[in-house]
Amino acid sequence: MRFEEVEHTADRALRIRGRDLADLFANAAAGLNSLMLASDSSDAASVAKRIELEAADAEDLLVAWLSELAFWAETESLIFSRFHFMELTPVRLRAVITGGHVEALQKHVKAVTFHNLAIRHEPEGLVVTVVFDV
Amino acid sequence: MVHHRDLRRIDAYLFEIPPSFRPDMRVPARFYADDTLIQGVLGDRSLEQLVNTATLPGVVQHVLAMPDMHQGYGFPIGGVVATAPPDGVISPGGVGYDINCGVRLLAGHLNFEEIRPHLDDVASALYANCPSGVGKGGAVRLTAGELDQVMEKGAHWAVGRGFGVATDLEHTEETGCLAGADPDQVSARARDRGRDQVGTLGAGNHFIEVDVVDQVTDEAVARRIGLFTGQVAVQIHCGSRGLGHQVCTDYVSRFQKTTRKYGIELPDRELVCAPLDSSEGRDYLAAMKAAANYAFANRQVLAHHVRRSFEQVLAGKLKRPELFQIYDIAHNMAKMETHTVGGRTVEVCVHRKGATRAFGPGSEALPAAYRDIGQPVLVPGSMGTCSWVLVGTETSMSQAFGSTCHGAGRTMSRSQAKRSVQGPTLRRELEAGGIRVRAGSMAGLAEEAPAAYKDVDRVVNVVDGAGLARRVARLTPLAVIKG
Repeated sequence: MRFEEVEHTADRALRIRGRDLADLFANAAAGLNSLMLASDSSDAASVAKRIELEAADAEDLLVAWLSELAFWAETESLIFSRFHFMELTPVRLRAVITGGHVEALQKHVKAVTFHNLAIRHEPEGLVVTVVFDV
Repeated sequence: MVHHRDLRRIDAYLFEIPPSFRPDMRVPARFYADDTLIQGVLGDRSLEQLVNTATLPGVVQHVLAMPDMHQGYGFPIGGVVATAPPDGVISPGGVGYDINCGVRLLAGHLNFEEIRPHLDDVASALYANCPSGVGKGGAVRLTAGELDQVMEKGAHWAVGRGFGVATDLEHTEETGCLAGADPDQVSARARDRGRDQVGTLGAGNHFIEVDVVDQVTDEAVARRIGLFTGQVAVQIHCGSRGLGHQVCTDYVSRFQKTTRKYGIELPDRELVCAPLDSSEGRDYLAAMKAAANYAFANRQVLAHHVRRSFEQVLAGKLKRPELFQIYDIAHNMAKMETHTVGGRTVEVCVHRKGATRAFGPGSEALPAAYRDIGQPVLVPGSMGTCSWVLVGTETSMSQAFGSTCHGAGRTMSRSQAKRSVQGPTLRRELEAGGIRVRAGSMAGLAEEAPAAYKDVDRVVNVVDGAGLARRVARLTPLAVIKG
């Protein structure tokens, strides 16, 4: 399973898995989309953006990545579902992301938090739990 | 995880986790509850989060959580934490993403019987005139210069533009404008998010509610603040929208490095902070104030839309449809305040995360009209249930840095609420109970089902019993407007 919801009293939390950092970041984006949309509308591919992010470590970069996607969703109703990472290290991300406009978001994600955020290495790959303020 | 055996009961409503519970605690962690509420508190991670806040550098006296407390991220919701220079820090996560989320209470001259035939029309006008929903923009689109004015002047900007009257400002915490806001500390991205959201409600747990005062428990104080049994009132609950969310996001990210720079060890990265007496700490405080002022302006413009809706529907049909402001309070904020700690008068930074300021009688921060009775405190219940108006007390000043609860507090996760309650069913149930519902999202409605929250009467009973605030009047809902 790429991601699954974890119970949280007030907000929303997702446990996200990935074979490697790129897989983890793509799955985290899919998880974020699942919170914001009633159904997966990832077929839309009318808009492409080039993203460059830098951060202090992999967790910081993951928050920056998801915050970037939540920003476009809130301000332009843009949902991205295809991700081509040209560079992805724990402190730097360069990617072209492709997606499209949606009519309405079902859920507003106000922010991506650092609450107990730690990317863990397990035998099958990477796993992280992210709490979203909704 | 904190267990019942780790707690010391101080009195009927106050519990303590002593600093011996964990070696990194600098002060005790205290919380208010009764024998029922404590079961819920022990059922999630809110106490662990409260203990985490007791590790912050420069924290003074004790950290506190109110009886509506529940698990959040970093700080628990309901948390009150004071820090003092020279070691004290300010933590953006201790304010939260919705900076100056708060509640405004308007009341009128109308009583329930007068408005009853028009309630459907009033609810529909409110829904049409008060933009709501995810990322929704409003009719007020600001230039860059105007946005700076909003961040510097808060509700004063709105009143200057004709959205309200001067007495609204007198009846707003800090008169609706925190001094020292610096828009230059607010990022371009935060400005983008805030450009067209002044005067919008948003989604989530934010709402506008038409109420009737169904119970007055302190006649004298109720009369002084302008409330009477049977009176129609309106609550507005919202905050700084995308601008505030982005300010917090920016500084929590920036402070990941700052915390390392100052050698601060923390049990959770969401607690990142900077010394109050540092350029980073000052920058955040100035940006937070800018976002807080945006929120004051937002509620001020929404109040204007509410008044316009009442006028639209009721003018010519009823005498005196106008609404006046009882009070407006913040429940996500950090502020420098003067308090007595260990017998000494000191300036501290009080973080209130899902907690309301509740200054007692005599405070110079209160408007002249309320100074001898204490600050009005607005405690909205969950959707479809009652809300309370209280006043702050001297006990709140001496025990809790002038703070009390902010609402009912969740007990059930949003996904659990959606599994157990269907939005359309809930809507029918509310309407069968005489409550008009105007909501953009049925899923969003289900998440806010009353069953997902604690009993607000019980929460208020605890703060009243503990002396943190005194009950004045109860409101019961007539119409709910949500995004």
